[in-house]
Amino acid sequence: MHILLIEDDTEAARVLVKGLRESGYTVDHAADGRDGLSRALAGKFDLIVTDRMLPHLDGLGVIQQLRRARLATPVLVLSALGTVDDRIRGLKAGGDDYLTKPFAFAELLARIEALLRRHASAAESTVLRVADLEFDLLARTVTRGGREIELTSREQKLLEFLMRREGQVVTRTMLLEGVWDLHFDPQSNLVDVHISRLRQAIDRGAQRLLIHTVRGSGYVLKEEEEEQ
Amino acid sequence: MKDTRRWGLFNTSAFRMSTAYTLLVALAVCVTLGSTYLLTQSIIQGDVDLIIDTELRSLENQYVRSGIPGVTDEIDLRIDSWGRIGAVYMLAGPRFDRLAGNVTNWPFDGEPAEPYPEFRIESIEPGQRSVHPVRAAVRKLPNGDWLLVGSDMSQDRRYVRTFQIATLWGIGLSILVAAVAGFSFSFRLARRVGDVTDTCVRIMSGEQGHRLPVAGTSDEFDALAMSVNRVLDRLEEQTRTLRATFDSVAHDLRAPLHRLRSRMDAVLRLPTLESGIREPVESALREVDRLQRTLATLLQIALAESGAPLASPAPVDVGELADELAELFEPVARERDLTLTARADHGVIVEGNRQLLAQLITNLLENALKYVPAGGRIDVAVKRLADRAHLVISDNGPGMPAEERLRAGEPFARLGQRSGLEGSGLGLSLVSAIARLHRARLTLESNDPGLRAVVSLPLADAQVALASASLSRSMSA
Repeated sequence: MHILLIEDDTEAARVLVKGLRESGYTVDHAADGRDGLSRALAGKFDLIVTDRMLPHLDGLGVIQQLRRARLATPVLVLSALGTVDDRIRGLKAGGDDYLTKPFAFAELLARIEALLRRHASAAESTVLRVADLEFDLLARTVTRGGREIELTSREQKLLEFLMRREGQVVTRTMLLEGVWDLHFDPQSNLVDVHISRLRQAIDRGAQRLLIHTVRGSGYVLKEEEEEQ
Repeated sequence: MKDTRRWGLFNTSAFRMSTAYTLLVALAVCVTLGSTYLLTQSIIQGDVDLIIDTELRSLENQYVRSGIPGVTDEIDLRIDSWGRIGAVYMLAGPRFDRLAGNVTNWPFDGEPAEPYPEFRIESIEPGQRSVHPVRAAVRKLPNGDWLLVGSDMSQDRRYVRTFQIATLWGIGLSILVAAVAGFSFSFRLARRVGDVTDTCVRIMSGEQGHRLPVAGTSDEFDALAMSVNRVLDRLEEQTRTLRATFDSVAHDLRAPLHRLRSRMDAVLRLPTLESGIREPVESALREVDRLQRTLATLLQIALAESGAPLASPAPVDVGELADELAELFEPVARERDLTLTARADHGVIVEGNRQLLAQLITNLLENALKYVPAGGRIDVAVKRLADRAHLVISDNGPGMPAEERLRAGEPFARLGQRSGLEGSGLGLSLVSAIARLHRARLTLESNDPGLRAVVSLPLADAQVALASASLSRSMSA
C-alpha cells in the first residue's frame, strides 16, 4: 500500500513516515501543498494523508484540485485547528476523514486502515458473518451459533459497525464518530461501557471470544482467542 | 404575536411624539381661531350696540327738544331712510301699545332685563316671509312711553356664521394636516428604526456581513447607520483577527504537542522497550492527552465567547438529541448505580450546531454522573415553553453552593474545585459558552437537594417568525 504524506512539519513528518513504514506501508513525503499536489497527480497512491495548514497551497486546496482532476484517492486530513466547523469544512472540501492533532499514532493507523478497506470492499451484503456470529441486517436479528441474541437497536448499531470492520482496529474516537455521531471526547468511559455490554451479550459463555481489546488503541472484532 | 404586530406602531415613541404634536397643533389652532372668532363677534356686536346707543340718544334728545310728536316724526323719517339696511324703531305707550315705528307688537314681556335684548321679527316682503334676528335697546321716556331701537342682525349673523364655518374648517384641516404629517413622519421614523433593529437581529443571528442601509440623505439616521456600520466593521474585523489568533494559537500549541506525542508514541513502539520505561511513558502520554483536551476545551470556549457566530447553523431537535444522549449514557449511569431517566418531547427544534449542543448536554450529564453518589438519580427533560425550548438536567446529588451557581454563567468562571475532581469548572464554562453562542440562557438552580441546570433556547420557528414580523415586533421590544 502506497501512501503520500503531505506535511510541512519535518519533525512530525519524520516520526510519521518512520511509523508508517514500520507498519508496512510505502510512504512518500511532500513538504508543501504544491509539491504534494504534483506528486499526487503524478503517482499512483492508495491514500493521501495531508496536513490542513501548508505553505503555498493549503490542504483543502490540494483536495479540491485532486477532486477537480477526478482523482478519487481517499484523503485523510490532519489538522491542528480542530473545531467542529473546521472539520465540516475539511469534509466538505472532499476529505474522507479528519483527524485533529495531536493524535495517537494508533488512531492514525486505524483510520488509514479503515479508509483503505472502505475503498476495497464496497460490496453490500444483507447478512454479516464473523465466525458463528450472524447479523441479518434485513430481519435485524443477531445469532451466535444459531442461538438468538437480543440486542437493543443501539447495541445492534455498534455491533454492525464492528462486524463491517472485522479484523480492523477500531478506536474509541472512531466509534464515537461513526456509531453515535459524537465529534468530541466525552470525559466518561462511555465507549468502554457500551463495548463491555455488547461483549457480555455476544461473548458470554462462548468458547471463542470475538471482541478483543487492543491495548492503547481500541477494539477489534475477529475470530481469534484473546491473547493473554 | 398578532397583537404585538397590530399594536406595534402604536407603541413607538415616534407615534407618541406625533400624537402629542398633533394635539398641540390642534390646541394652538383652536385657541388662535377661537379667539379671533370671539373677538370678531364682540367687535361686530360692539359696533351694533354703539349704533343703537347713538340712535337712542339722538331720539331722546329729540324728545327733549320737541316731545312725543317730534320723536314720532323722527322715527318715521328714519324708517324711510334706514329701513333698507334693517333699523328697527318702536315707540310704545306705558302699557307697551304701539304708537309709532316699524314693529307691530312690543316684542318683550314688559321691560326686558338685559341691556341689549334680542328678539326676532317676521318681515313680509313681496313674495317671501323671512325671520330676522334683532338686537335692541329700550329706554323709558320721562312721560312713561317706551322707546325701542334695534338693528337687524341677519347680515352680521350670516357673517359670523360664515366665519364660524371657516374657523371650524380651519381647525379641522389643520388637525388633519398635522395628523397626516405626524403619522407619516412617525411611520417613516418607525420604519427606519425598524430597519436598524432588523439588521441588528440578522447580524446577531449570524449574517455578519450585513450592514445598515444608508439612504444618502446625510441626516441623523444616515449618521447613526454609518456609525453602527463602522462599529460592525470593527467587530467583524476583531472577530476575524480573534479567529486568526485562535487558529495560530491552536496551531502553535498543537503542533509541538503533536511532535511530543508522536515521539512518545514512537518510543512505545520500540521493539526493545524495557518494561520499566513503558509505564512512565504511558502515564506521560495520558498527561499529554489531558493537556490536549483542556486546550481543545479552552479554545472552544474562547471561540464561542468571541461572539463569532455559528458557521453553519442547522435545525436541531433538542428533544431527540437529549433522548439519544440520555439513552447513550444510561448504561454509564447504571454502572455507577445511578438512575438516569429522560422525559423529552420530540420536535422541539432550535437553530444551532448539533455537535456543540450534544457537547453541552454531554457535559451537563457527565457533571451529574461525576458528582451524584451511588443510588442517586439524574433526570433529563426537554419541553417547549412559549417560544423557547427548555432543556432541564436535574439530579439529587450534593448540588452546588449558591454563589458558584450564580457564577456559572460567567465566561471562564472557574467553578467547582470540588473534592479533587478536576476539569468540571471548564466543562461548565464550555456549557455556558455554547449556551451563549446559541443565544440561550443557562441557569443553575438548587434542586433541593441536588443541582438543576436549565438551558432555555430560542426555538427555531420563533426565529423565522421573528424575521418576518421584523418591524412591529422589534418596535414593541
